[in-house]
Amino acid sequence: MAEVTLTNVCKSFGDDVALDDVSMTVPDGSFVVLLGPTGAGKTTTLRMVSGLDTPDMGKITIGGRDMAGMTPAQRDVAMVFQQYSLYPHLTVRQNLEFPLKSPILRTPQPEIDRKVKEVAEVLQISHKLDNKSTALSGGEMQRVSIGRALVRQPSVYLMDEPLSSLDAKLRSDLRIELKGIQANSGATLLYVTHDQIEAMTMATHVGVLDNGKLVQFGSPRELYENPVSVYAASRLGQPRINMLPADIFGGAPAAATHIGLRPEQILQGNGEDSTVHRIEHLGDQTRLHLSFKSHDLITVTDAHTDLKVGDIVKIRPHEALYFGANGARVA
Amino acid sequence: MTVSPIDRVAAKTPSGVARRIKGFSDRTIAWIFVAPTVFLLLAVNIFPLIWTIRLSFTNFRVNRPNNDVEWVGLRNYQRILTDPDVWNTMQATAHFLIWTITLQVLIGFILAFLINKKFKGNDMWTTIIVFPMMLSPAVVGNFWTFLYQPQIGLFNYVIAFFTGADPASFSMIGDVHLAPWAIVIADTWMWTPFVMLICLAGLRSIPDSIYEAAECDRASKWRQFWTITIPMALPFLMLAVLFRGIENFKMFDLVVQLTGGGPGNTTTLTSIDLKREAFEKWRTGYSSAYAVILFVTVFGLASIYVKALNKVKER
Repeated sequence: MAEVTLTNVCKSFGDDVALDDVSMTVPDGSFVVLLGPTGAGKTTTLRMVSGLDTPDMGKITIGGRDMAGMTPAQRDVAMVFQQYSLYPHLTVRQNLEFPLKSPILRTPQPEIDRKVKEVAEVLQISHKLDNKSTALSGGEMQRVSIGRALVRQPSVYLMDEPLSSLDAKLRSDLRIELKGIQANSGATLLYVTHDQIEAMTMATHVGVLDNGKLVQFGSPRELYENPVSVYAASRLGQPRINMLPADIFGGAPAAATHIGLRPEQILQGNGEDSTVHRIEHLGDQTRLHLSFKSHDLITVTDAHTDLKVGDIVKIRPHEALYFGANGARVA
Repeated sequence: MTVSPIDRVAAKTPSGVARRIKGFSDRTIAWIFVAPTVFLLLAVNIFPLIWTIRLSFTNFRVNRPNNDVEWVGLRNYQRILTDPDVWNTMQATAHFLIWTITLQVLIGFILAFLINKKFKGNDMWTTIIVFPMMLSPAVVGNFWTFLYQPQIGLFNYVIAFFTGADPASFSMIGDVHLAPWAIVIADTWMWTPFVMLICLAGLRSIPDSIYEAAECDRASKWRQFWTITIPMALPFLMLAVLFRGIENFKMFDLVVQLTGGGPGNTTTLTSIDLKREAFEKWRTGYSSAYAVILFVTVFGLASIYVKALNKVKER
């Protein structure tokens, strides 16, 4: 296992700047999640670390060693691809065995069999081992693709949206499973997703990318409670943070143009009047859609609330976040 | 009761449409549409085939239509299969087939592999390489006779340049040992590009991401080649072998133009022999039997091969 560092890494594809001066340290044994919308540079970052692409500028180290000019094999990384990239002419078992059969490793066959069995059980694909890899559903392919990385003990695991095509139950099962594997083995994991629940539940660190720039890097909690910008604040939180004009409640700092309110930062019971215009009962909580001075707000309330559409709720902000005109945090 | 697909489609046809064409059931209309094709197939494929099989049991000669046609049973077949000349022709054909296919697949695959690398101008190279196959076989045969010419031929000159032998000391077309190779070389020159194109399609069908995965799984280039490239391109390679095999089994034009089947009978392939029997000696019954034997051979080999091909594809 190893620490990964990126120092001033830049990469362009033609005129498209994919990564713009990204510096980041992935500590040894950490689970780092990269968040951002499509095109933010998440996958490019993974490909730089894996060695499938080389940076135009900057330096990447794994375990303290400079990776310039090193092939993926020399870097000893295991990668899970978004598009699965299974070997279509091989069975599931052969796909899982493939990395172990590398002459570099010289793994004996009983050891290979044991590992494949173990990984197949974790990923719930034991009954599919002798199927052709093309005769699987998307979710099964994705699991085989994860399995192909897990059979090895590389210095870094790189995963590109590995849970994106699984159903909700399997996704939450595997989330726990992956986190468990990572925590037990002490593996370093760099993980790309745009699912914020995955980021919040698994990550030790979250990196937020915006148009090739790393805008914030820190623990999920830090990011949630202390975002540096509107952009970073809206990456995490479900329902999303509410953005309103800063002066709507009064008491805003001078430079602020917007106030950001997470659902729990809207206190109910006293303050100013707002109207309920929709109620969503989710079981463990209830989401309230409020109209406040012609702005829409979403907050959460007690699961067994008696509120009805049209009711008046008094609200006031509590420990709100303030942002300036350029989107940066001011208070 | 099972419903035929035609009935199912017919059931979906709005009744208004069905009624408008009075007097025809939908089934009849379907038949009217396919009838021209069926008729053509019967007339130019099936009927001649059956007629050939019938003629193969007779001593019919097409240049003597007034002679009595005698039923000779299997005598034609017996004569062909025991004729050493026919077996020589078969051997010449086998030699031609095995070597052309081997060389073309080998060179074609290597060329495809090289051209598949991303480098500047590989489209231009593809066009240049594909050029020979755009020419007429007769033209190719004709200019290879010049290339093989002992005194002025470029081929002899090049061989002489590298070996130091006298270019006039050997004749590719005139020598009984060299002539079978002369036709192999010319055919390989002409048709390797075709095999290359098929192999290229095969190689391009393998997504880059598979190689990237293998790269991360720490497979060497060598291992990637044997465990990914070859297995995934194999169906295409086998298809190329099938095409070239069937094409070269009926090879005629190029070889006739180049060597005319000589010297002696060394380059007389079965199709050339058959043409002589049928349209120079006019032994129609005999040549019909000959044709049936060739047909059964090609058909048999091809069906076994296609079965193997399908198995590879299913893997």
